[in-house]
Amino acid sequence: MAIGGYVGKILYVNLTDKSTKEIPTADYEEWGGGHGMGSALFWDLVPDKTIDGFDPDNLVTFMASPFSGTLVPSSSGRTEVQGIGVQQYPIAWFTRSNFGGRFSGQMKFAGWDGIAVQGKSETPVWINVVNDTVTIEDASGLWGLNTHETQEEIWALVAGDKSVSDWWEISSSRDGGRTTQKPAVVCIGPAGENLNRNACLIHDAGNGGGQGGFGGILGAKNLKAISFIGTGSVPIADPAGLADLRLEIQDRFGYNVDNPTLETPVPALSGMYGLINGSPGYGPIMWTAAGAGRPQGCMGCFKNCRINTESGLGNGDQCVEGLYWSASGELIDQLAAVTLLDQVGTNVYDMVDAHPYLLNLYKMGVLGPGKAIPSDLPWDRYDSPEFIEAFTLAVANRTDIGADLADGLTRAVIKWGRWEEDTTSGLLPRPQWGFPEHYDPRLEVEWSYGSLFGDRDINEHGINWLVHWMPTVTAAVGQAPLMPAEELATRIAEGTGVGDPKGWDYSAEGIYTDAKAKAVAWHRHYTRFWKQSIGMCDWAWPMLINFNAGDDYDGATPTYEPLLFKAVTGTDMTWEQSLELGRKIWNLDRAIWVLQGRTREMEVYTNYVYDKPTDVPYFLPAIENGEWGYSICLGRTLDREKFDDFKTRFYKLEGWDSTTGWPTRAGLSELGLSEVADALDGAGKLGADGA
Amino acid sequence: MADNDIKKVEPGEHKEVTRRQFITGVGGVGMGLALGGFLVKGFFLPEEVFAVPASEGYLLVDTKKCAGCETCMLMCSLVHEGVSNINLSRIQIIQNPFGKYPDDIAQQQCRQCPYPSCVDACPTGAMHVDTANGNIRTVDASKCIGCERCIEACPFTPSRALWNYEDKHAFKCDLCADTPYWNKEGGPGGVQACVQACPTKAITYTGELPVQSDVGYIVNLRNSHWATINFPTD
Repeated sequence: MAIGGYVGKILYVNLTDKSTKEIPTADYEEWGGGHGMGSALFWDLVPDKTIDGFDPDNLVTFMASPFSGTLVPSSSGRTEVQGIGVQQYPIAWFTRSNFGGRFSGQMKFAGWDGIAVQGKSETPVWINVVNDTVTIEDASGLWGLNTHETQEEIWALVAGDKSVSDWWEISSSRDGGRTTQKPAVVCIGPAGENLNRNACLIHDAGNGGGQGGFGGILGAKNLKAISFIGTGSVPIADPAGLADLRLEIQDRFGYNVDNPTLETPVPALSGMYGLINGSPGYGPIMWTAAGAGRPQGCMGCFKNCRINTESGLGNGDQCVEGLYWSASGELIDQLAAVTLLDQVGTNVYDMVDAHPYLLNLYKMGVLGPGKAIPSDLPWDRYDSPEFIEAFTLAVANRTDIGADLADGLTRAVIKWGRWEEDTTSGLLPRPQWGFPEHYDPRLEVEWSYGSLFGDRDINEHGINWLVHWMPTVTAAVGQAPLMPAEELATRIAEGTGVGDPKGWDYSAEGIYTDAKAKAVAWHRHYTRFWKQSIGMCDWAWPMLINFNAGDDYDGATPTYEPLLFKAVTGTDMTWEQSLELGRKIWNLDRAIWVLQGRTREMEVYTNYVYDKPTDVPYFLPAIENGEWGYSICLGRTLDREKFDDFKTRFYKLEGWDSTTGWPTRAGLSELGLSEVADALDGAGKLGADGA
Repeated sequence: MADNDIKKVEPGEHKEVTRRQFITGVGGVGMGLALGGFLVKGFFLPEEVFAVPASEGYLLVDTKKCAGCETCMLMCSLVHEGVSNINLSRIQIIQNPFGKYPDDIAQQQCRQCPYPSCVDACPTGAMHVDTANGNIRTVDASKCIGCERCIEACPFTPSRALWNYEDKHAFKCDLCADTPYWNKEGGPGGVQACVQACPTKAITYTGELPVQSDVGYIVNLRNSHWATINFPTD
């Protein structure tokens, strides 16, 4: 049993009867933390896995990890959220989301390793946790407020002042603890209150738990917000060892802001170049502080990828959030647009491809005033701030075309009868489960395969930074790739432990090989454990190759993850054991999806993936004509038959029945999941051993 | 005794200096420019007013370079207390997620005041000037009776003298002179955990007594590389 990292208890709240109870963390410690614990809690506490996401019995978990609230670099501030979703199509799977900031750290300081919420309140409430004291508060005064207003009100209610700047006593007892910090609040906005399927969770300014529709799920529970503030300590097994590891990792792999080894050759593209060197403030990728702002980081981060601006707009927003809408060409408009989206609490990832697609329908004469898809929004002024404000509010409030879009763009397009046509032509590139295309599913397949065999767009960049962004960014700034393709693939193969560089060959044949199947499986297992269960940030881990130390390209992975785990928890965890635990969690999730209705036949992409050849350069390492290089991958499609064959081999590799994709008793028992096998058997959905 | 009639006090005798004397004589200097009248009065005081030896080290922060990651706080509590707890950190970072740069994040480090009101206020000598460690102002926990006068006396908000509600004694920044959970040598002449851990290198250490004002403890640590990634250097 661990001697550090965990703080001992998980909070369970039933909103129906307003009861709470403590669940000993030790009961779930075998799952590591975060996602593993969340899946196990869901398995234990939700007997019927086929319920709808809006069902009161749906359990939503917000889990910290042993690394939350500690000095482990870029691993202290992530919170893993799970439950039955409402976003995906055709079945809204048991799913996950994740947000940064300081929520999980404050949860730990308050003495909790996570919170699980079930039931439904008859009236709006919020959950107030101050150390050990848990109260379910009336939220009638918060209902209707946007996400930022909500948090400020809760700061004032809990701390007595929404602009906390001094020590404040957290209890009436002098020794009850004191803090200078504001409560960490995760909440929903109007979109969540309106049960939108693309409503997200917001914490602080721009930390969003977007995928899955958890904003709408909390809205259905009448749960406006959860607030944690704590003054307790997180025990650390080897404090001096952890301090040393932190400094060592930061020095070896971090970007030296005063004297960088690898600096962007084009300052205007410092955001994009940060995808290689991790320079502070690179999170927005396509825009920078433009000389007025500072980098900002989640708790304990050593990269600090976000930006706080002089306008306060866009604070904390990064990646796709910062790219929500930029049609006016003015950065301030862009920042205002995404800030409004944060405030209403809508998932940017379901909207970022929506308005361009809808504009196309408008240009085609399909959408607009009096058209087949009626909308009175100012589509003729798409490039004006007035448009994006009206559009954002319409979706959040279910007005105009938002009445359909609030159920997600995918469901809206299906309702309009355009899904087959537009996902076949590629006008609407949404490859699986109704999610937008993130990276090209015909090419960068550990992403697309992982998404299809899972429950959502995986949003896991550890490989993607190296194989796609490094050659892309260097090309954009006029540099040669920082490493030959073969060396890159070889280093990844060695770092992961998979061994065969061909796992990262993205050629027309390479994407179907057994080596690729092993690479995809490794990705599923690594991320399930280290990222989603142990809370290591997707934008920092794994570190398989390092470009910040000159000719020393060795990454932190796989050396440092087990060392950090040992320093925090006191528990030995070998690399192989960690991946096996990731596989166990992945299999538990798979079993839940199977109970929900997952079949082999469902695991196919929309037609454009197979039928529409790629037509823009897309850099990836590939063996072509017998030589490694960075291919631009033009004219490529996914071959239906070859992918189908790959699927068979992947299922076998994972120990699943290759004819159904269902886990088997042998496979589950090997992982210590015999009772899961029993449940599948009882449902008539247990895969056949050896099939 | 007149308000500004502050006698010379040797280390260890600081309890003889009254609270009133501190405020009129030197506290005004520590409180900075807002109390201009006192500042002028202080200017004309004799050298003897600095009744305790000055600290041999100070922390300076670049308020515009700090990224608010709270790594310094996590590191501080780790190396001093052996646990992770930002509330037990001797440096405090306070931020408003919705704030506008540069007023969005504030860094509150101890100033190792030349005439430390916390030391002055302590009735037992627990809060003292540690002459064996570069004259840092620090706490002998065994002498602390928990009256919190040091915390009340600190002229800054939030107080840089803190209450350790877990171990029940006052504590404050010691420039890492006493870091039982660190493998490095701290204190004046050594290294400081927050300085070492800050990923944006926004904290630095100096042996020079800063100008006794708010701006005296602020330093610009941003060079041309900061501008290359599109952040301001002015």
